[in-house]
Amino acid sequence: MTVNQNELLSALVDGELKGNELEQALQLLSTSDIAKVQFQRHQFVSDVLHGYVSQNRSVDLTGRITDALLDEPAILLTTKRKALVIPFPTHLWKHATGLALAASVGAMAVMGVMNQPQNQLIPVTPVASIESPAQPMIVAQTGNRWTVGEQEVEDRLNTYLVNHSEYAGASSVFSYARVVSYDAGQ
Amino acid sequence: MSIIAHADDDAITLLERMNVAAKQLNYEGVFSYQAGKKMQSIRIIHRANQQGEIERLISLNGVAREVIRNNEMMTCIYPEGKSVQPNHRPLGGGFPSDFLNRMSLASPYYLLSLGQEERIAGHHTQELKVMPVDNYRYGYHLWVDKDSDLLLQSDLVDEQGKVLETFAFSSIDMGRDIPDQSLQAQMQGNEMTWNRAEHIMNTKVSANKAKSSWQIMWMPAGFTLMAQQNRLKAKNGASIEQHVYSDGLNSISIFIEKIRAQHRHLRGGSTMGATNAYGTIINSHFVTIVGEVPADTVEKVGNSIQYVERK
Repeated sequence: MTVNQNELLSALVDGELKGNELEQALQLLSTSDIAKVQFQRHQFVSDVLHGYVSQNRSVDLTGRITDALLDEPAILLTTKRKALVIPFPTHLWKHATGLALAASVGAMAVMGVMNQPQNQLIPVTPVASIESPAQPMIVAQTGNRWTVGEQEVEDRLNTYLVNHSEYAGASSVFSYARVVSYDAGQ
Repeated sequence: MSIIAHADDDAITLLERMNVAAKQLNYEGVFSYQAGKKMQSIRIIHRANQQGEIERLISLNGVAREVIRNNEMMTCIYPEGKSVQPNHRPLGGGFPSDFLNRMSLASPYYLLSLGQEERIAGHHTQELKVMPVDNYRYGYHLWVDKDSDLLLQSDLVDEQGKVLETFAFSSIDMGRDIPDQSLQAQMQGNEMTWNRAEHIMNTKVSANKAKSSWQIMWMPAGFTLMAQQNRLKAKNGASIEQHVYSDGLNSISIFIEKIRAQHRHLRGGSTMGATNAYGTIINSHFVTIVGEVPADTVEKVGNSIQYVERK
């Protein structure tokens, strides 16, 4: 992705685009997975800057770190080295945010891991199964997909969701966002 | 007595203006929807004129998907391999965000207050806090544009104040003319295809005012029956009975459909973002409760439902 494209996405997050530039940015988002990822990063940083994340809640990056480690080879799960999944402390988060807003979220997560005292990890415990410590989350960990195992049940619940969405709650402007974004991250 | 007893007048006025703006403004923008670890970006285009409202939502990341809705119909356009799903609105007239009418049903179960002023998507907003007085429903933190009264961010929060879902505009353009072309689905590339001819559903929904064989013995205080209807399932023509209850701010749907051979069904609870579902089987029927209310609430409602033999 070019520097100009990156700036375009940043401007999109900041609400600075109109007309052709807006169309260009949306076209980029609809055709490039890299652009989508970058857009989310810009949006996240913007949220932090505007205080949407830090107000009354801290950022929990352990889930992302755990997800990233899921793809690591099994050797990481069986060594007796110390813990790999560590919460990013609030005070460090604020510090890091102030110093390195230009850095990616991933880079800041690594910084947090390096600075945190390490805990003993039970050797045979899969990293992915380690519970995140009790820490306020950005949002609850339910995600945007029904917590069911069977496709038929999921399909039926989705049909119900569409029908139910006609009677949206207070955030009615966004009432069908759940429908249009369902499973979008899968 | 005010519509919502525990509220200051400014907050009520703002809430009312917010819902008028949502129905009357033209706007186009991008907002994020975050539930759990997932964050999706969605483009929204909304037009209101003498013909009514029409709205188009496009998922910008992940699976390509569109929803287009107007006063009469809502159409989901799914990715390749899935169906295009037109869904006739059963009650006709007005968007589901027909909030002002529903406010008349509301009872004193929410505390409304004004919060801080903040800047969202380049606009100055006023925070509006809507907190429930019991644990059977969720609350909201709403950020309303001070100039246009449009809702720019909505956090749905549980009884501990934990945010379950967030919708937030990152950019928005208001007041422009929106051409018809912007409101038509545009399928491009290989990622998404129309399957209308193959999969179109002959959904037929008719109001069912006949007395139901089902009795809901418990609802949270303030929830009243808003709608009761039979929907015809497109794939097999099976009838699904839907009852909708609302307290004016949140709503609960109860879906009842007769069990068919070898069909599987939700048993117990399931969650998607801030939406909870609870499924059970009663008298050879699948009974499912869906709502933006706590899991305990849908479970309690589900366990209170009874089948009554009609003579």
